[in-house]
Amino acid sequence: MNAILLRGGRVVDPSQPLDAVRDVLLRDGRVAEIGEHLEAGDADVFDASNCVVAPGFIDMHVHLREPGHTHKETIATGSAAAVAGGFAAVACMPNTEPALDSPALVAEVLRLTRAADLARVHPIAAITRGRAGKELAPYWLLHDAGAVAFSDDGFAVRSARVLRQAALYARDVPGVFISHCEDDDLKGDAVMNEGARSFELGLAGSPGLAEDVLVARDVLIGGDTKKPFHIAHVSTARSVELIRFARAADIGVTCEVTPHHLLLGDDGFANFRADDKVNPPLRSPGDAAALRAAVRDGTIDAFATDHAPHAREEKAQLLGEAPVGFSGLETALGAYAEALPDLPLDRFVALLSTNPARILGVPGGTLAVGAAADLTIFADRPWRVDANAFYSLGKNTPFDGRTFARRAVATIVGGRFAFRDGAVRGQDPARRSRTSAP
Amino acid sequence: MAARSLLDLDDLSSAEITELLARARAFHAAPPPRTLLRDVCVVNLFFEASTRTYTSFAIAEARVGADVVALPPGASSLGKGETIADTALTLAAMGVRAIVTRHPESGFPYRLAESFDGHVINAGDGRHAHPTQALLDLLTLQMEFGTIAGLRVALVGDILHSRVARSNVFGLCALGAEVTLVGPPTLLPDAMVCAGVRIERNLDRVLPEADALMLLRIQRERIASAVLPSLEDYARNYRLDARRLAMLRPKAIVMHPGPYNRGVELTEDVFAFPGWRYAQQVSHGVYVRMAVLDLLVNGFESARGAERVRSA
Repeated sequence: MNAILLRGGRVVDPSQPLDAVRDVLLRDGRVAEIGEHLEAGDADVFDASNCVVAPGFIDMHVHLREPGHTHKETIATGSAAAVAGGFAAVACMPNTEPALDSPALVAEVLRLTRAADLARVHPIAAITRGRAGKELAPYWLLHDAGAVAFSDDGFAVRSARVLRQAALYARDVPGVFISHCEDDDLKGDAVMNEGARSFELGLAGSPGLAEDVLVARDVLIGGDTKKPFHIAHVSTARSVELIRFARAADIGVTCEVTPHHLLLGDDGFANFRADDKVNPPLRSPGDAAALRAAVRDGTIDAFATDHAPHAREEKAQLLGEAPVGFSGLETALGAYAEALPDLPLDRFVALLSTNPARILGVPGGTLAVGAAADLTIFADRPWRVDANAFYSLGKNTPFDGRTFARRAVATIVGGRFAFRDGAVRGQDPARRSRTSAP
Repeated sequence: MAARSLLDLDDLSSAEITELLARARAFHAAPPPRTLLRDVCVVNLFFEASTRTYTSFAIAEARVGADVVALPPGASSLGKGETIADTALTLAAMGVRAIVTRHPESGFPYRLAESFDGHVINAGDGRHAHPTQALLDLLTLQMEFGTIAGLRVALVGDILHSRVARSNVFGLCALGAEVTLVGPPTLLPDAMVCAGVRIERNLDRVLPEADALMLLRIQRERIASAVLPSLEDYARNYRLDARRLAMLRPKAIVMHPGPYNRGVELTEDVFAFPGWRYAQQVSHGVYVRMAVLDLLVNGFESARGAERVRSA
């Protein structure tokens, strides 16, 4: 009944592997055929020439703010931002209000996802009740409800004993533990990275050590308990070394890196505005270079944005009061390509699709015949970032005004275009000029 | 053109700093007519307790004839959720031409200046900058030694948390002094070293060669926050006492931005030292602040020549 023919794109699928100009036929929500000169038949034909056709991108680290903070983002607006940025699926963090620590809340996120009917949203549930770091969340019941991973993201689990017990209990529950590695005691009231720039600006800085000590702790707890751990948003050169050390010791650990930690350093921290305020903070240019090298050599498994939208007036506060994070979904492809222009396309796709699917254990990450028809079509066509035009309610980004080469051209979820010709399905592009929540 | 602000000393060229110090010296030699800022409305917007700086600005504003409104801490709508931009808009709409502000958070005056159509003068922001203190320190050095270029100046103590130190390093370097920072690693991280500045952990090694010492206040809270073990332990290496005073050159001077802690960063021997310049510093603060108000509002000669905004 419902068919799409993607004509003449460069198909890059690291899962097969495949990198060749092919036609791709999607039918009834599945990949039906990949080949040359396929018959269009009744299919909706999309000209993908000069584009890359890839398995749908998965952002395994986003904050969708619902329930509880819907002035910052909703599952509907976040889903629209995702597909506009080229993501067919996202995994949402549980630091909502209340936290995603019960099966009912996980089910509610999935209900809202179906209602939005754009991107797939995979809920990540809390490791501890209320993300308070004291009692364990009900991992099996959360899994039954649809949680794909567990994290207290935003905080580390402070107690090594609690984290160890959690990892032991949850060892056989499908779903990786995702560690936010920042020691809040070492971090103190920091608003940026500690270093020459923080001293120059007279701002409280958080040392890279605050991350390193917890990366070391968590990979060791992972090795001790045999629970798979995934280190969120690595930001320091030393973290990367610790992950290499863990792998050399046969400890299974995966990790992700954000576009901003690859592309920006604390040397650009400017004018006491909170646009660059994020956890973990933008580190030194040397750290950013080490992260880029770690992507190239394969130490980094996944690209993840840590999309963290806030209301504009919240980010306009003084640095000490402004919340951490900024929108990331709609700039990610451009920023990653800008940071790593020489990265081979199959690696680019693997980091955004195949690997996150494998780490989370979710469908996707492949264009094998019969797989769900989730695809990302992207191209290198220079564009200028305009935060006011984001589908996300979060209009803050350190990339505002920058020109990037790469962008999503279309996003297909379940065999239907969710984003095409610059517009998200069912949404009036004119609304993108709005500057605040409706 | 946008109104000039003084947020830190890097807002001024070396020539402008020199002009400003010359203007302050002129005011010191002979008080100007109290009409330099006639009909100019200045608001003092202080979010932090201040005796010295607040009073000094208030006197300076009176001596140049400005209309002054003082908003004590807590009286501003900023505490009631009004944004910085809205506060700036409100004050500008009432005809306020200049805001003198102190705030506990680094960067506040920068954010204010983005939105305010007028002059912003930073009277101290967090641990970031205190440009008028640095200017009065420069004036004190200049009046003592004639020139600042080539002077060996050591800043001693809690450099990390000191806005006075930051602004002074900038001003001293701009005018060609040789700057040495002295303190323990928790108060003076290795990474604070910058171009033209030396870090020294041993005060005794610095004393025989220094032309001027700038002591900084040591806060007792540093013990509770595990930055210092005890005041006695700090004193062993850094307190200026009779033994260390004796190591100074005969013409060396000792400065302190105040308020000082007797028995902590200095002993009472310092008050009898002929080169103790604290009172002069405080006195010079008024002239420096008069000069800042005059030159920001009426224009620098070195910047614009005849292009003065208003004739006095």
